[in-house]
Amino acid sequence: MTALATPDQTAARGVAPTQGLRKPRRYGRILLYVALVAGSIPTLLPFVWLVRSALMQDAQMFVSPPQWIPSPFQWSNFSESLTTQPFARYFLNTVVIAVISVLGTVLTCAVAAFSFSRLRWRGRNIVFALLLSGVMLPYAVTLIPTFVMWQELDLIDTIAPLTVPSWFAGAGGGVFNIFLLRQFFLTIPFELDEAAYIDGASPWRVFWTIIMPLSKPAIIVVTIFTFIGTWNDFLGPLLYLQNEENYTLSLGLASFQSMYITQWGYLMAASAAIIAPIIALFFFMQRYFIEGVTLTGIKN
Amino acid sequence: MRRLETRWGILMALPAILGFVIFTIGPMVASAFFSLTDWTIGASPNFIGLDNYATMVQDELFWKSLSTTTYYTLGAVPLVLIVSFAVAMLLNQKVRGLAVWRTIFYLPTLVPAIANVVLWIWIFNPDFGLLNSLLRQGGLPGSQWIYAESTAVPSMIIMSTWGFGNTMVIFLAGLQGVPRHLYEAVSIDGGGAWRRFWHVTLPMMTPTIFYNLVVGVVGTFQVFNQAYVMTEGGPNHATLFYVYYLFRKAFTESEMGYASALAWTLFMIIMVVTFLMFRNARRWVYYEMAGAR
Amino acid sequence: MRRRDLLKLGGLAALGTAAAACGGGSGSGSGGKNVQLQFMYWGSTFEKAAVERMLKQYEQKHAGVTVKPLYTPDEYDVKLNTLVASNRLPDAGYVPLAMSYRLGQQGKLVNLFPYLKKYPQLAGYLPDAYLWSGQDNLHGVATANEIELLWYSKSAVAAAGVTPPADAASAWTWDQLVENAYKLTIDQNGKHPDESGFDPKQIKQFGISSSITYGAAWYGFLRSNGVDFADETGKKCLLDTPEAIQVFQNLQDLIYKHRVAPGPGQLAATGDDVPGTNILLKTKRVAMVVDGHWSLLDMNESKVDYGIGVLPKYKEPFTSSQVAGASAVFAGSKHEQEAVELFAFHNDPRYVDLFAKGLWMPQEKKYYEDQAAIDSWTKNELHPPEFRTAVVDYARDHGVPAFGNRVKNMSTISSDVLTPALQELETGKRPAAEILKAVAPKISSMLQGWQHTQEL
Repeated sequence: MTALATPDQTAARGVAPTQGLRKPRRYGRILLYVALVAGSIPTLLPFVWLVRSALMQDAQMFVSPPQWIPSPFQWSNFSESLTTQPFARYFLNTVVIAVISVLGTVLTCAVAAFSFSRLRWRGRNIVFALLLSGVMLPYAVTLIPTFVMWQELDLIDTIAPLTVPSWFAGAGGGVFNIFLLRQFFLTIPFELDEAAYIDGASPWRVFWTIIMPLSKPAIIVVTIFTFIGTWNDFLGPLLYLQNEENYTLSLGLASFQSMYITQWGYLMAASAAIIAPIIALFFFMQRYFIEGVTLTGIKN
Repeated sequence: MRRLETRWGILMALPAILGFVIFTIGPMVASAFFSLTDWTIGASPNFIGLDNYATMVQDELFWKSLSTTTYYTLGAVPLVLIVSFAVAMLLNQKVRGLAVWRTIFYLPTLVPAIANVVLWIWIFNPDFGLLNSLLRQGGLPGSQWIYAESTAVPSMIIMSTWGFGNTMVIFLAGLQGVPRHLYEAVSIDGGGAWRRFWHVTLPMMTPTIFYNLVVGVVGTFQVFNQAYVMTEGGPNHATLFYVYYLFRKAFTESEMGYASALAWTLFMIIMVVTFLMFRNARRWVYYEMAGAR
Repeated sequence: MRRRDLLKLGGLAALGTAAAACGGGSGSGSGGKNVQLQFMYWGSTFEKAAVERMLKQYEQKHAGVTVKPLYTPDEYDVKLNTLVASNRLPDAGYVPLAMSYRLGQQGKLVNLFPYLKKYPQLAGYLPDAYLWSGQDNLHGVATANEIELLWYSKSAVAAAGVTPPADAASAWTWDQLVENAYKLTIDQNGKHPDESGFDPKQIKQFGISSSITYGAAWYGFLRSNGVDFADETGKKCLLDTPEAIQVFQNLQDLIYKHRVAPGPGQLAATGDDVPGTNILLKTKRVAMVVDGHWSLLDMNESKVDYGIGVLPKYKEPFTSSQVAGASAVFAGSKHEQEAVELFAFHNDPRYVDLFAKGLWMPQEKKYYEDQAAIDSWTKNELHPPEFRTAVVDYARDHGVPAFGNRVKNMSTISSDVLTPALQELETGKRPAAEILKAVAPKISSMLQGWQHTQEL
């Protein structure tokens, strides 16, 4: 079962990730860029609208027909909106939750994926199939009982409900990550493990010193998916966090909408400011990201 | 070695197995039990058998939310698949500034749900929103977007299509995994771009398409944020999505028992739909390496 | 409960979440006793600051008691529900009105009836402020008084030569309202809707905005036309009576027939996603807006050149009052005595500046009857000269408690049936009679009677 997979997969890994099929002919290339530009306009317009609104005075936002250029540029929207609520605090809270979740998800999912891909034990495939079926389960089904469980444990208004599940392989939706990592691990030559075992290494050692270092792209993918998921999560913090001091950015933004219903410029500025770090993060990580998804061969 | 492997294997899978039992099986059983009670927040639950399910069958809004959600899914999933596939094809070419292009198309996915919804409220505003402004500049009549019954769900479909990034990334990955020698074979036979697409790309991509289809349907069926923040299910229940209705029953009207029954019904619906998709998949999904490892 | 109702609660446009939190623990009081209370509330940042000042004052006047504010600006009902479910209720605070009846019946709120003797100011409220969940079971009071008014841009009405009346005796009839709204509606070329060449797609200034979906905005009209939401048993909906149909047809006609009012999603003053009344008037997108008294704060804050008028009438003039949220003491408090004291304190105009600042109107009768008491909250530059007749007298003599507070099962009726029907009405696809005749029987089948009321 191991030998079969390797040659084909290693061949696939040899393909440079960003490499296309061939250089299109010149008119083809022009067409390509036209298509890219045409496609990116509707993608970017909402952002332009966001930034424009973030820099406007409220009165100007409600003019019909709408205007594109703020006059005057209301830079104070940014400074004021970010200081009226403790956004630094929210930022910190969100980072803490995101980091704990990412660590837990990556570690426990990778360990499980290692077990499901490179260790042979009875019932392994059945267990894995069962886990996979969890992806179909709507979160609405588990929402209420899970809430009751955390309440019984008296852990409402702590970050536990938002972070602990990630240390159980992400629970629920985390199965997707196990699947991704498992697919990736299957592409790593099994000879490496065998050599290590002959040298007397334990499975943990093989996992930690051989498999993990070779799996950076896949780990980056899981990291980014988990990070974005946690960063943008609204329902979880809404249900579990009660004290304002524990709020995350998403909650802060939502309460902002309530508090400043008449100050849309603030709301837009705060939104723009919250999106910015994520964009930067993605821009610098995107290469590994796409590479990672590619190499894990999701299609199988 | 074999026993060692078993021991380590189970040990290392343990967090995942425990997580599954604690956070999936346990809540599932519990919610099945709740669904058989009349539990209201603040009061103690009484066992009422299948009454909640009987109520549901006669609940106009249950059917309304189900049909609204189905309509949304039927619109959003194919559109997202087509758009993301097309963009993935573009990004799979050799282009300058690939990092920039990829970031641009992935950007919308990075916007927090709340900010996203707030932004689109503005885009959709009939009076001073972006879309009507553009339409009118082009001499076209505007629309009421989310403020009219007939256009509310289509508007939300447009909005969801904007966030096609994740699907696109997975398509892109799939495209890059298509073996080059297959294309070369077609080229040697004198086939052009269209034949390469039709005879190599598309068949080789069917597993990825299928994956995105299943994930898309399961996810889209659970749409919530838009209805919650944007329309509150209106106008006239036009955007009364299933999970939003469920949430309203559970956390605003406190009818936890009934909400649990709604949740279980949704689970069964998704199971059936997924099952049907898998059965149907055999006809069109091409598995290159059939059989398990 | 509709989000917009919540919004209206605190007065200033704001809604709520809850913040419950760490019960007990931190901080310690001076003096003999050491009591910790939690006060949960929502509101704008402005209201937040005022409530915090109120709590500080309370602490100063009550040695040994500390109060932890649980400010919860968003999703108040969701959060309060989670607190109920997890038995982590605060000691006192705001409760969304509809939920207050449920919690009252479940015994989650302290019955204040026995305390009325001890705190005489609690016994001097406007009769409609009291919220009863059964005979002699007083579970709370409406936090502040609120009425609906006709706000207008002074320069817009001056330009059109229109003067909205500031006392109930000279209130406009509906026809007069429409006539004046025509004068105040202008398209990009300066034309009015009754002139040829008027371009309804390019309206620069609408004459009036009056919400169809927000109950408190039209309930006064309904009562003025001699009909109520339901009959005296509270089990038969009267929205399909000719009088009610007339009111709603008139509202719909403002948008589609007369074209003097904005359509849904445009500039209706009571959506979550549109500018506030202050912005509408400041930018003169709308000349007159029907909105609650609480807008006064926003008007002053954003320096709008506004005026206040009374609503148009059909027969006798009416405006809906008490549309805000409730305040209550939560059961299970370890310090019920102190919690009730805090409750009596929290909306007392002597300690809370939200009355003088324009967000709230008092609940005690004397603030509408006794000249010195009236002056204590209205005699300042934030209350315009017409405030006395257009608001104080109007509220006292022509306020009727909004139906939303007094009909059982109203939050479900609202979200499941009434609001969707009104949204349809607002889109103008079908006439009011058709929609209301279809919806009234449905509402009747859900009605469970009026909430209990009693004389003190």
